[in-house]
Amino acid sequence: MLQPLRETCRRLLQDGIVQVVIGYGQAVRAVEPYPVFITDPDDVGQLVWNEQCRTNLVKYLLRKEIRVLGKPAIVVKGCDERAIVVLEQESQIDRSQIVVIGVACDGMAEPRCEVCDAHQPRFADHTIGHATNETQPAERRYAHLCEFLEQPPSDRMAYWKAELERCVKCYACRQACPLCYCERCIVEKNRPACLDTSATLKGNFAWHIVRAFHLASRCVGCDQCSRVCPEGIDLRLVNLSMARASEASFGHRSGTDPQAELVLGNYSQQDQEHFIR
Amino acid sequence: MSQIISKPAIRRLVERWLRQGKRVIAPVQVRPNLVSYQPVRSPDQVLLEGFVRPLNSIKQVVFPRHEQLFQYRVRGKQIDLLPAPLPDVERIVLAARPCDAAALPILDHVFNWEFRDATYNRRRELTTVVTLACTEYDAHCFCTSVGSQPNDTRGSDALLLDLGDQTLEVRCVTDKGQSLFAGQTEASTRTAPTGPGPERRADLRRVGQQLEQAFERSEWAAWTNRCLGCGACAYGCPACHCFDMVDEGGPTCGARVRNWDACQFGQFTLHASGHNPRNAQSQRQRQRIYHKFHVYPNKFGELLCTGCGNCTRNCPVSLGVLPVLEAIQAEGAK
Repeated sequence: MLQPLRETCRRLLQDGIVQVVIGYGQAVRAVEPYPVFITDPDDVGQLVWNEQCRTNLVKYLLRKEIRVLGKPAIVVKGCDERAIVVLEQESQIDRSQIVVIGVACDGMAEPRCEVCDAHQPRFADHTIGHATNETQPAERRYAHLCEFLEQPPSDRMAYWKAELERCVKCYACRQACPLCYCERCIVEKNRPACLDTSATLKGNFAWHIVRAFHLASRCVGCDQCSRVCPEGIDLRLVNLSMARASEASFGHRSGTDPQAELVLGNYSQQDQEHFIR
Repeated sequence: MSQIISKPAIRRLVERWLRQGKRVIAPVQVRPNLVSYQPVRSPDQVLLEGFVRPLNSIKQVVFPRHEQLFQYRVRGKQIDLLPAPLPDVERIVLAARPCDAAALPILDHVFNWEFRDATYNRRRELTTVVTLACTEYDAHCFCTSVGSQPNDTRGSDALLLDLGDQTLEVRCVTDKGQSLFAGQTEASTRTAPTGPGPERRADLRRVGQQLEQAFERSEWAAWTNRCLGCGACAYGCPACHCFDMVDEGGPTCGARVRNWDACQFGQFTLHASGHNPRNAQSQRQRQRIYHKFHVYPNKFGELLCTGCGNCTRNCPVSLGVLPVLEAIQAEGAK
């Protein structure tokens, strides 16, 4: 996998098709691979691919620090590329100006990988390796959430209080999220202030609820927010909850179909809800 | 001669402190792979072994992430300001890591320089810090690179060292530590050996000289461009102390509050005019490095870093100060 990946990236850089490759690198000492931005074809040896490449790199397509480096190629897994599909649907990227290198993935040893149905990238320009996409029935995909929902509401509330009590509002969830791209986040608006910026239980509930509202039907379930949370808050439960509502009510699984109409992002005179017309 | 105490005896002390109405903060296993400093409700929650270090820090005990400074009430033309009462609950931090406690003297300088911060100092007086020397490390630990070591007593009132067989050596450092353990320890001939600590990767006490020449280097973007601009490094850091003050409430009543802030946020230095002197993430990263290894040391004579490694450990993309400093040093060596 690694050699074809490096070779593809070298060719793209050498032929001037892209100016930068957004991929994974790994220092000897570092525990986890981290994002690297390769601009010189001779540096493709820095790229790695292994079962620790969990990070979703798609956010870097939007970071101005990376945009100035020129036309990018980006290394994605089948789960990550769903975010690229949504970014294009929401007119945040020009897909023709991005080269997507999909790498087949057998799983990164996360619980979510056990119910993955996107081991093989589907929308990439170049695909490295082969994996099989098994259909996962909804009850399996949402099993983690359903198990949680079996608890009585009071227990669930106690759980979220204990979890959100630890939130320090570092906003790693937002910063790492490929679909949190507002130039000025609602929590940063202070004339007037819309939300408490304080990391109190009240302020933390407000923050995570607002973020969920803004990602509802859009979140692709890459769980990057959950992965980066330094307090280990299981935001995957929130993500699954949004996805299940979107799928159940609108038959929409975000980022799985580039032709799909968006639940919240489309306007139509024929909309069945009259209040929108 | 040394002083020793058994782990069960320490837990009995915790029980007594809790009964006395004191707040006990200690490393707690929140879930597998997540150890965090939390207020404990029962003595068996306290971790006395089997962890590298919590992902948060003890600074929250003296400098909480949120505090009310005063409340305001507006009645007609009358505005009443109600100052928040000073803290009065005694706190004992138990089994903190030495790299956490070492940050307290660093914070003391800041909160007593030009202005004596009343609530900080009150919390500091109310707090007794008992550290637990490290016996295990991970790839992010670098205390030995900032001139510290796993049994550093800086900022500790007492230091515990594991002797095995459920026994701890107690080294009281201050009067507070003495009085906490008075009559609770036994004399012994056993002393804990000094471990080597994590591998020394650099001498960061001297990196300030290199930084003198590095401000305008064009490589800052390359060194730091994977930074996503969150506050996970600053909020997990035992020594970072930036805060923001905001009014929360409505036109008739509310409160002025002090909340943690972090220099990697895009809004941190955004002016009301719209101008931002640190507009790029690399400028914000450069600021963080300079503050810790150049500005603060020039002012107070020590680093604003204890080598705990939480910045890298908590970073979504494994950045933090050490990878950046190593990159600067590697360039300097060329």
